[in-house]
Amino acid sequence: MTTAFGGDEAVAARGGALARWIARRPLAALVIAAAAALALWLILAPWPAGFEEWFGRKRLFVNALFNGVTLGGLYFLVAAGFTLIFGLMRNVNLAHGSLYLFGGYMGYEAADWTGSWLFSYIVAFICCAVVGVAMQILIFRRMEGEDLRQTLVTLGLAIIFSDLMVWVWGGNAIQIATPDYLNGPTPTPIVVAVKSSGEAVFLQYPRVRLVIFAAAVLIGVGMWLALHRTRIGVMIRAGVDDRDMLSALGYRVQILFALVFAFGAGLAGMAGIVGGTFQSISLGEDSHFLLASLQVVIVGGMGSIPGAALGALIMGCSEQFGLVYFQNYATMVTFLIMVLVLAIRPQGLLGRG
Amino acid sequence: MSTIAERMAAAGAGAAIELRGVTRLFGALAALTDITLSVRPGERRAVLGSNGAGKTTLLNCVTGDFPPTSGTVRFFGEDVTILPPHERIRRGLRRTYQISLLFQRLTVRENVYLACRGVSRGRFSFLRTRAGEAIMQSVADLIALVHLENVADRLVGELAHGQQRQLEIALALAGAPRFILFDEPAAGLSPTERGDLVAILTALPSHIGYIIIEHDMDVALRVVESVTMMHNGRIFKEGAPAEIETDPEVQRLYLGGGHG
Amino acid sequence: MALTETSTPSIAAPRGGALSRWVSRHAAILLLGLILVLLPAVANEFLLDQIVGWSLALGMIALSLMFLAGYGGMVSLAQMTIAGVAGYMVAVLGASSLPTISLFWPWWVATPLAIAIAVVFGTLSGALSARTEGIYTIMITLAIAAAFFYLTLQNWPIFNGFNGFTTIPAPHFWGVNWRAPVPLYYLILFFAASSYGAVVYISRAPFGLALQGVRDNPRRMEAIGYNVAAHRVAAHAFAALIAAIGGVLLVWLNNQISPFSISFERVIDVLVIAVVGGLGHPIGAFVGAIIYVILRTFALDALLAVGLDGRRFQTIIGLGFLLIVLFSPDGVIGLWRRWSARLRANGGSRRL
Repeated sequence: MTTAFGGDEAVAARGGALARWIARRPLAALVIAAAAALALWLILAPWPAGFEEWFGRKRLFVNALFNGVTLGGLYFLVAAGFTLIFGLMRNVNLAHGSLYLFGGYMGYEAADWTGSWLFSYIVAFICCAVVGVAMQILIFRRMEGEDLRQTLVTLGLAIIFSDLMVWVWGGNAIQIATPDYLNGPTPTPIVVAVKSSGEAVFLQYPRVRLVIFAAAVLIGVGMWLALHRTRIGVMIRAGVDDRDMLSALGYRVQILFALVFAFGAGLAGMAGIVGGTFQSISLGEDSHFLLASLQVVIVGGMGSIPGAALGALIMGCSEQFGLVYFQNYATMVTFLIMVLVLAIRPQGLLGRG
Repeated sequence: MSTIAERMAAAGAGAAIELRGVTRLFGALAALTDITLSVRPGERRAVLGSNGAGKTTLLNCVTGDFPPTSGTVRFFGEDVTILPPHERIRRGLRRTYQISLLFQRLTVRENVYLACRGVSRGRFSFLRTRAGEAIMQSVADLIALVHLENVADRLVGELAHGQQRQLEIALALAGAPRFILFDEPAAGLSPTERGDLVAILTALPSHIGYIIIEHDMDVALRVVESVTMMHNGRIFKEGAPAEIETDPEVQRLYLGGGHG
Repeated sequence: MALTETSTPSIAAPRGGALSRWVSRHAAILLLGLILVLLPAVANEFLLDQIVGWSLALGMIALSLMFLAGYGGMVSLAQMTIAGVAGYMVAVLGASSLPTISLFWPWWVATPLAIAIAVVFGTLSGALSARTEGIYTIMITLAIAAAFFYLTLQNWPIFNGFNGFTTIPAPHFWGVNWRAPVPLYYLILFFAASSYGAVVYISRAPFGLALQGVRDNPRRMEAIGYNVAAHRVAAHAFAALIAAIGGVLLVWLNNQISPFSISFERVIDVLVIAVVGGLGHPIGAFVGAIIYVILRTFALDALLAVGLDGRRFQTIIGLGFLLIVLFSPDGVIGLWRRWSARLRANGGSRRL
């Protein structure tokens, strides 16, 4: 199921190249199309009787799917910055999870103070962006090209940040309240069951998760456009593809690095609020989201935004389906996907050779 | 998979190195276009051409550093097109690099030792090599051959440029080479060192053939019996050194491009 | 990469008057060995097992990372996880307080099998990252470590969820109860010293030299006949063996294992230990481990004593680590080397 979704995403990302791709790989295209059709049918149509024995109740299945896709949206927000920072600077930012958590806490404080959920996003973005820029300018600029040392520094920072945040906010989980206008369920046109009276039961899904997912998609498309249609974006992509290009930029490369660091960190901070609204934020969530970012980026391909989107969807869905169908081995599903990708395509599904 | 007998027959009859229709693309850029080249066992051949003519890419396709996009590469009759580099080296192919790709943090002796070990058994051995073992003798011989005895236990990073170039050659001579690819071995050498280099090359056992890429015509044409000229990723002329030297087209292209 | 600076004395240099030269060259390590062997005569159980024993077992796991990172240029964060696999398997295959899960096989079956499983696990995870370059290894191994942590946390049939296992006995044989403090201490000392010796020895053997070649210049290694990926995988296997033995010893020492023995923090600790000690020489792993254990054991009280919040221990560790990475990339042993070199320079002709 997840692969069907992944395939769709990949095809969409390639846009105009779709026809060429199909011509080049007719078999793969056929498989993906068939899987997509099957997925659509599984989601939209009422299930025949025998199905529930295999997949459980349809409500479970569809809920897992929706949870997976929306969780994928959250993972994408966190991993997009991580993958850009890695692609451009070869810096495995192990403090990325800390930025996520920090953003969540700052957003919580801001929402608490002003009462505005939307405003808290701005606060979280700015706070984390400032931390990110500070890290880049104060530390990483001084050790350019030493990727291992940079990574170790981010590790030291992650250890310190995590302890300081426990100091300030304690070890208890914090939930960020959903604003009233997004509270409650939204009806969807998806039939999850048919009552004995013949009346169809439709899926109800939390509105806030749908809205946030839509926002994540918008941000993803926006990033893709920015990377392909603006001068800075073109410079960033050139830098990811060819490291030597960067030296040609001279001093401006530092501005570029600081910008990408700010944006990636800010995005992680905003994701912290999303995470705090979806679930909760607490001690340990920093490593959880760092690891999720790692997996997303390994599966999707390092340095690639469409790769991060694809990886996030796969990881979100496999995590949720794993929870529903293989309780004791749920993480193994995610893990096995990662292993499979590494074995077949070490550079990630949409990574460059 | 061919049998050993077939391989021997092919080797006896055929070329040491044979490229057929080799093309190498980097993205949309063709570094090599439809190269067909054949070098006999024991033959010494220079490949000349301006910068960007595709000479180093040619060597990389032969060694497998960058496999060709299309075409086949045969080494003593065996199709090695998709073989990884280390397998080709174990079959008797050797190369030197234009930029120093030495182990800077190991000593000269350790560098040569690694090269000798790489083409012999015991690459994974957990047992240290004792001073009396045969491999240590061949290491010492190789170091003597390139006149590095005095710096044998110094770290490579501390050596002068010329000495590093000589070490490059020692690494390529390790084991029982059948064919060697030299990538600009004279680059950056002093006139005396060039003399030493020519002496080393001409003193190689006659069964060892080589291809040499060299900008210095004086060096190149003294140590080879045939020349291949390349331009823009294609071969445009082959012949004996004397023919090439006097060829007007070569003069124009090569001297023109060499300074560009 | 300055972090993996390794001093490399020449191979097969001529040796005359071998023994006395060898002794004088290794005076420091021999003296240290002697002290460690005689320690039980003067030290109490706490110092023996909870400080020195723990440091040595932890040092072995850090040593396995030092071997991969220092000689192979591969920073693997899965070493604690490999140790954890071995530890869990000892509890599952051997004895524990959970008769529903543990199989209660005799120790001489369970222990070697547990180590073998961990080595296979380490080799496979090494194979996953061997095809990628340097920095990717960190990401991939960290993801592997995380996956195993969450697996043990979620899985009850085999790993008993977040409770893990307790009462895992060390074996009795040759009439010795190896769980008793002094025998356990010697057991750990034996394996720590053996693995230290093995790493030092192998670093100058063909395998170790070739590994350093792979670290410095993988492409050239291919071009002189080495299968670089195979070499990397073999290095992972060897390191996994050391980590697995260390993991079993840790479980016997602590008498328990749970997901929190292999959590993100513990995985990171191993890297912190190896880097703080110094990746340039195998002794760095043990230097780092003893510093870490002393900090872990006493920092809380020390912080409270000077009026600070004892819980800020992690910040101290993080700051110390950061300072080392920023100012002495070759760790404490690098500091020591520079310091003794300066001392020698000031002391004039002492060496000549």
